[in-house]
Amino acid sequence: MAEPTRDFFATLAQRHQPLPEGVTGLMRFDLADGERTEHWYLAIRKGEVTVSHQGPDPDCTVSTGLATFEAIVSGKMNAMAAVLRGAVEIQGRFALMTAVQRFFAAPAECAPDEPAAGYARRLS
Amino acid sequence: MSPDVKILDGNTFVVSDDRGDIEASLTDPTGLFSFDTRYLSKWVLTVDGQRLNPLSVDDLQYFETRFFLVPGTGTVYIDAKLSVIRQRAVGGGFHEELTILNHDEKAVDLEVRMEVGCDFADLFEVKDDLKKKGEYYTRIEDGRLVLGYRRETYVRETWISATAACALDEHGLTFSVHVEPNHEWTTDLHVTLGRGVGGQSIAQPKYERHSKKALPYMERSLEKWLDEAPRLTCDWDPLNRTYQRSLVDLAALRFSPVSLPGHYLPAAGLPWFMTMFGRDSIFTSLQALPFTPELAETTLLALGLWQGSRSDDFRDEDPGRILHELRFGEMTAFEERPHSPYYGSVDATPLYVVLLDEYERWTGDTKLVRNLEQTARRALAWIDDYADLQGNGYIAYKRRNEQSGLENQCWKDSWDSISYRDGRLPGFPRATCELQGYAYDAKMRGARLARKVWHDPAYAQRLEKEAAELKRRFNRDFWVEEGQYYAIALEADGSKVDALASNNGHLLWSGIVDKGKAKAVARHLMSPAMYSGWGVRTLSTDESRYNPIGYHVGTVWPFDSSIVAWGLRRYGFKEEAARIAAGILDAAEFFDGRLPEAFGGYPRELTKYPVQYPTACSPQAWSTGAPLLLLRTMLGLEPIGEHLVVDPALPQGIGRLELLDIPGRWGRVDAFGRGRVDVEKRPRRQSQLGVIEDGGKAAKPRKK
Repeated sequence: MAEPTRDFFATLAQRHQPLPEGVTGLMRFDLADGERTEHWYLAIRKGEVTVSHQGPDPDCTVSTGLATFEAIVSGKMNAMAAVLRGAVEIQGRFALMTAVQRFFAAPAECAPDEPAAGYARRLS
Repeated sequence: MSPDVKILDGNTFVVSDDRGDIEASLTDPTGLFSFDTRYLSKWVLTVDGQRLNPLSVDDLQYFETRFFLVPGTGTVYIDAKLSVIRQRAVGGGFHEELTILNHDEKAVDLEVRMEVGCDFADLFEVKDDLKKKGEYYTRIEDGRLVLGYRRETYVRETWISATAACALDEHGLTFSVHVEPNHEWTTDLHVTLGRGVGGQSIAQPKYERHSKKALPYMERSLEKWLDEAPRLTCDWDPLNRTYQRSLVDLAALRFSPVSLPGHYLPAAGLPWFMTMFGRDSIFTSLQALPFTPELAETTLLALGLWQGSRSDDFRDEDPGRILHELRFGEMTAFEERPHSPYYGSVDATPLYVVLLDEYERWTGDTKLVRNLEQTARRALAWIDDYADLQGNGYIAYKRRNEQSGLENQCWKDSWDSISYRDGRLPGFPRATCELQGYAYDAKMRGARLARKVWHDPAYAQRLEKEAAELKRRFNRDFWVEEGQYYAIALEADGSKVDALASNNGHLLWSGIVDKGKAKAVARHLMSPAMYSGWGVRTLSTDESRYNPIGYHVGTVWPFDSSIVAWGLRRYGFKEEAARIAAGILDAAEFFDGRLPEAFGGYPRELTKYPVQYPTACSPQAWSTGAPLLLLRTMLGLEPIGEHLVVDPALPQGIGRLELLDIPGRWGRVDAFGRGRVDVEKRPRRQSQLGVIEDGGKAAKPRKK
């Protein structure tokens, strides 16, 4: 099993997610790797995400190749652009994909999240 | 050149000439468009090889139109024995009913031909004349003609079919038609998005012939939409018309985001800006809040879902930032444009918090405020952590995407809009003044929500402390002492960019203006250099760059003026606010109630009518919202606690005004007012608000 994908889902399950509280639903990622397809299920509820390999019928299915998915989670490819390009297919509730795309990494060449010198911070 | 005819359904729209034909070149903006992609660039009807001549065009609805045509071209009227009717409705592509009537005593045999073609241009390509990188194909299958375009995994197809028998070839449809005397022949033509965004296929257009259920999702709810809005009655009749026009236009401007099907937010403008824009959607939602609060709810939800989460220079994205614009075309798909989405707006983020609070004050919907708590906190954090590019505690902007990002990320986004009095342009980053006002307001309102809904008094206290500190510094650093107004911007070295601009009115609205300075600011806004008689100029006539037809350097923007009026009200300048409302509402009458994006800054007594600034988009959302906000400011509607306070200050000529069933946390309440504000001494046209007259009942002479 590919590392970037596993790492991505492992991290997702660990931290408290900055998701709008109203976003609730079940997602499934179908990641094709040659003959094989990996399935990942994400249950999103009240800003919490749980990850598993099986589940009931999802509200939103994301289908793509494993290599494409790896490029997306590691910040080499933009998820929304890939959807528009037809490299990623979404079925069902798009809102869930919109909520989850925020967890994909920033492009590698961009500065890491380094805030500008905030005055609030300086004042304190 | 034939005038354009536009019909639309969400972000799907058709622009054709007045014959109903489409003959687009790459740079010509006609065709069938959906999701920012052209699905039809050629659609030309001939009868026996001849083009048709338009007799009339009926715009039935914003999504439906009808063309009456006769054979033969040229200007000479011919006694036609044939007439042709094309009735077209847009939705999921479009549906066209083509009817040919034979008025002759003899039967006729005709060859009817529809020539078709498609370049699958991205809207951005239409603007910039760029060449395509993929391949075209055509196919005939299952009785339909398929026009396609492929570039790697990107595939878009248009499917074309007819209900009558026809011969299909790669360039069109040919009908061999026989029509008996005084009979008619007819066919339905279907144009659908065979392959669209996400590989989705639409095989049937939304409409079917003569089907009552053929009304689109927008139309089905148009009556309900009008029904649910407050009812206005007013002695001054033009306002009734303008109000109705605004409500209907706002209905046409509703846009359902892909992520929230069945919910609507205001798109920016019709037809080219039928997409989610952070700034435009927020401002329009604010203007329309007392009338249609559900627009604000969807705006908050949709923009919240797309809130920035990482540093992405190409998209000018930061964690917590609210998007500027979302697009779906090929150039966005291949990352040749950054709109997936693009975040290069610096005011949308604080304004998001402002809207969230204002929405709660009106509706009492604390559930939404709770659900968006983290979103709002991140937006507030963005102000301090990512927007202080000058390192001096002020919001500023400077694009990181030098190729295709926006240079000016405030609402006055043209290259020359921010200047010194002498015309010099400042460098980047630029901290424009209204941004600091929005930041102040966002903190104050964030504090209110923190205390009332999130139950975090410590956070509220911190925000209030920061806001107070910001206000204190702002009034020191931006104030132009010799002129007695706020500079339009601050440079990184602390220099005041000292032009006098309408941004001062936004500052009043935000509440950042020191009480002691408000009077001087109001006096400037109402001075002959700023107030044209129709509205407030974007830039004072005393500035070097002033130009009465300069986009952001002298024109009057109804949206801008409506915010200025709101600001004047906030500081107690009721009569001044009424004067601005009177000017803008008088202007609206010259455009049949549909205010343009901007009009010339010429003095009212010079031109007598407002000179429209040429623009491709009409109606435009925040111009449509302006009369609504002006109604609010004139009536002095303000939610206080669980109640709606009404404190009218209406122009005299308006007579009696009633706004019934205003929705909010109080259920529905009514507001009444009578015009008492003497807005203008000098006599002008009859029956305009600028004229003192009793009741103001006489109808203004109409343009048409």
